[in-house]
This record gives sequence, structure tokens and C-alpha cells, in this order.
Amino acid sequence: MRTQDGFVAARRTDWEELQGLLDRGKALCRLPPISIARAAALYRAVCGDLVHAQSAGYSREVIAWLDDLAARAHNALYSAPPYRVGAIWDLIARDFPRALRRHARFFLLGVALFVLPGLLGFVGAFHSRAFALQILSPETVAQMEKAYAAGFGQGRSGDLNAAMAGFYVYNNIGIAFRCFATGALFGIGSLFFLIYNGLVTGAVAGLVTVGGHGRNLFTFTCTHGAFELTAIVIAATAGMVMGYALVDTKGRTRFGSLRACSRDVALLVLGAALMLLVAAAIEGFWSPSAAPDRIKWGASVAAYLAVATYLTRAGRARPKPEASRP
Amino acid sequence: MGATLDNTADVDTPELVRFRYRVAGPVRRALAYLVDLAIRAASLALLYVVVALASGGGKRFSSGVMLIAAFVFEWGYYVYFETAGDGRSPGKRALALRVVKEGGFPIGFIDSVLRNLLRGADFLPVGYVLGVLTMAGDARFRRIGDRVAGTLVVIEARAGLASPLVLSPPVTADEVAGFPPRPPLSLSERETLELFLRRTELTAARREELAETIAPALAERMGVKVQDPVRFLALVHHRATSGAPVQRS
Repeated sequence: MRTQDGFVAARRTDWEELQGLLDRGKALCRLPPISIARAAALYRAVCGDLVHAQSAGYSREVIAWLDDLAARAHNALYSAPPYRVGAIWDLIARDFPRALRRHARFFLLGVALFVLPGLLGFVGAFHSRAFALQILSPETVAQMEKAYAAGFGQGRSGDLNAAMAGFYVYNNIGIAFRCFATGALFGIGSLFFLIYNGLVTGAVAGLVTVGGHGRNLFTFTCTHGAFELTAIVIAATAGMVMGYALVDTKGRTRFGSLRACSRDVALLVLGAALMLLVAAAIEGFWSPSAAPDRIKWGASVAAYLAVATYLTRAGRARPKPEASRP
Repeated sequence: MGATLDNTADVDTPELVRFRYRVAGPVRRALAYLVDLAIRAASLALLYVVVALASGGGKRFSSGVMLIAAFVFEWGYYVYFETAGDGRSPGKRALALRVVKEGGFPIGFIDSVLRNLLRGADFLPVGYVLGVLTMAGDARFRRIGDRVAGTLVVIEARAGLASPLVLSPPVTADEVAGFPPRPPLSLSERETLELFLRRTELTAARREELAETIAPALAERMGVKVQDPVRFLALVHHRATSGAPVQRS
């Protein structure tokens, strides 16, 4: 058996070599193979040293030092898979629509919780201005009536388009992210945001319609709505999946249950964010354009069909080839 | 002993070794957050000046660019730095913090997206109140985002390895004449002695005073006489560590 000081003196050079490899600041996988092999060997040796130090009862300080070194080496050696650009394509082409189909029931529930309050808001505001003022602030009402009174017959200037696209990115994706995040509170936040957004959207539409400018509003929103409204509901779906995982734990701990669904949840939110980027581009540059109404309605139908086809068909397994391999 | 402290997290590796992380508490993490917040605010302000100058007063265009930048800084800042910087945003780096997966693995893109988007829940109702409350209910200080993503924020200790304790003047045979070959010390007693001997910043009088509280009891246990309590403790420690190491029971 060695004394602590003898042990430290004998092993110190190895430890410092490993520390040197970790301190290069580069990912370990970029080092030459011989260095990686050396780091792995040194890491195993440090693990042995740590066990020895613990069982021999060396001082806390030596153990803490070895703990830290082992932890850093472990973190570097068992590193996460490297990032690839192709992963974004996998997300779009496969992982996101599949994740949504796995949670189709929550998505449909989300659609209902958005559309029904939307209809209620529309009908209420259409028949009663007082109803609309219960939901919307007077400033919002004035702003909306002004915004859609003129229409987009002349189109909108390019730099205003850019400014608005920026606003849509900041505001709408931010709303979607909060709609998702608050789902961690047993889903309550997501449900609230869905119903609230449905009511507000419906009330604005009802109010503008009764004011006689419904055509301006609907031709403006019909195309990007396919992406934007769907994506907001998808973000809320992710929140509801989280909230439900907290309630029905399937025998796990509450947070264990949450973690089991976390990958799907992340895929849904990322997919929704990408859809909202598309929506912001359309809303910034296409929706306010001077294109005739018929073309805008046609684009809207095409957009809804494209979104529906994408979400239901993308990433389905191809039929297996006839010839089986030996 | 360390095992009973609640601010550590044990990690079992495939090598059947268990090492220990120090988990970061709310204050240290809040400080890191403030550093990051300052960096984000400063970057946005700088960008604002650059964009305003470059666009030559095209107010609407630059406001569009600024809104997109604000979005990227609000939601993308942490995700970028945590995935590209191996779990460390600049603020975390400044306070020696790192985000790791439970199990000591580096965090991936998906983990980082989850833990950072869920700031939206931790932030509620205002100023991360819910996040701090959730951390208070957890032995490993995980906020909601950490729990969903399965991550921990740990302190990278980076303590230096102190030089061995050297007795000066060197021990003479006379001084340790009556000492047993292995002083009857428990592990924690030995660690106490070591901590005491390393605290050289104390005045001589204070060292004397502290040593007197324990030296007589030790001397009685070993059946020897004490002349200089500080020297006596150093001798006992030297004897205990230069012989065969103590076995942990």
C-alpha cells in the first residue's frame, strides 16, 4: 500500500497528461487517433485511481480532483453524436410528421379547442359589438378596423413587408413557444392559449366582417393561415402531450413520464417553428400583395391541401420490395 | 461525509466507477443568467447601431431585421451556445457551470431545445419564480426545463491539486518516541487534522488555541504527553499518513 503523497506523486504525470488533452479546447474527435486512444487509456486509469483513492481513504481534496478529471474525460469520451445538416431534412421529411401522427388525438382535440371558440367569437362579435369588446380592448378594435378598411389593392411597400415579416417571426413564433412551454403545467397553459387565441381571432374576424371589410381580412389571411394556425395548434399539441404525460404516468414518476415523451415533444415544437417561418414569409410578402382575390383563394386551397398532405403522408414507410434478400 | 451532502449528483459509468458532480444552485445560475442577459442586450444594441447605419435610415427595413435578431437572441442564444460550446453559454463559462445530461453525457441539440424553450414555463409568473420553486423541490436543483430534457447544471470544480504537506523542521525520532505505529484516528479526524494543518493563514496564537482543544484528548488516547500542541498534531498527521493508509470501514 502506498501513502497518499506517494500515490499522488506517482500518478500525477498521467493526470496532467489527460488534463492537457482535455484542455486543448477542441472536440476530442478532432484529435489524431493516437491521442484519442491515449485519452481513453488515461481515462480508464483515472477511474481506477479514483476507486483506489476512495477505498484507501485519501483526503477529500484528492478525491475531488480525480472526480472532476474523470467527469470531464467521461463527458468528452462519451460525447454526443456530431451534428449534421441532414438532421434538419430528416426532421422535415420524416420525424416531425410521424411524431404528429403518433399524437393525432391531441392534435384533433387542439383543432376543436381552437375552431369552436373561434366560431363562438365570430358569431358573437358579428351580432354584438358589446360581446367583441368583452374580448378585445378598444384599442385593438380600432386598430383592426383601421388595418383592414383599406385593403391591399395597391399591395404593400417592400420595406414594410420586411418589417412585418420580422414582426411575424418575433411575435407569432414567440406565441407558439409560450403556448408550448406552459403545457408543462399539466397542459393548462396550452389549453388556455388555444381557446384564448381562438376567441380573439374569431372576434376580430366577426368585427371586421360586420364592418364590411371581411373580404380584405379573409383574402389577406387565407394563405398563410394554413401554416400559421396549424402550427399554433401543433405547438399546443406538444404542450398537451407534456401535460397529459404528467397526469397519466403509466407507472413512471411524473417527471420520468414527461421525459419519456420529451423527444416527440421537441420534434413537434421544432416542426411548428419551421412552419411558422414559412407562414411569416408568406404573411410578409404574399398575403399583402395586390394579387386578385381569386388567385389568393386558389393559393389558400393549395396551401391547406399541401399542409394536410404533408402532415398525413410524409415519412410513411414505403411498401416493401418484393424480392427479399437472402 | 460528502455522501450526505445534498448538492452532489453521483454518476455511474460503464467502467463501474462512480464519480460525483457538484450541482449548481439557484444563485450561481442566476448570476450566469445575468451575464448572458447583459451579453444579449449589448449585442442587440450594437447590432441596432450597425443596422441603422447600414440601412441609411430605412426605418422599416431595419426594424424587421431587428425583430428577427431579437427573436434569434431570445430563443436561439442558449441553444446555439449550449450545443456548440459543449453545454456552456458565455455566462455559464464565466461562472464555471456546464449543462450535462443525467449520467454525465454531453447534451445534444434536442435536449438544449427543450430545456431552453421551457424557460417559458420556468419564467412564470414573473422572473423565473416557478423555476426557482421547482429547483427548491429537487435535490439536484433542476428547473422544469431540466427535468423534461433530463439535464443538470453542474459546477466544474477545477480545484488545483495542492502540494503535499511537509513537516518543517523534519520529524526526529525523539519526538515520536512513544507514538504507536498507527495513530488511532478515524478518517474524519484525520481529514480534520489535514484541514487544520493546511490553514496557514491563521495567526500562531489562534492555531495554538485551536490545537489545544483537540491535542490533549488525542494524546490521552495514544498514551503520550503533549509539549507543543500544533507540532503534536502535525506529528500525528504525519504518522497517520506516512504509514499504511487507513481502511475505510
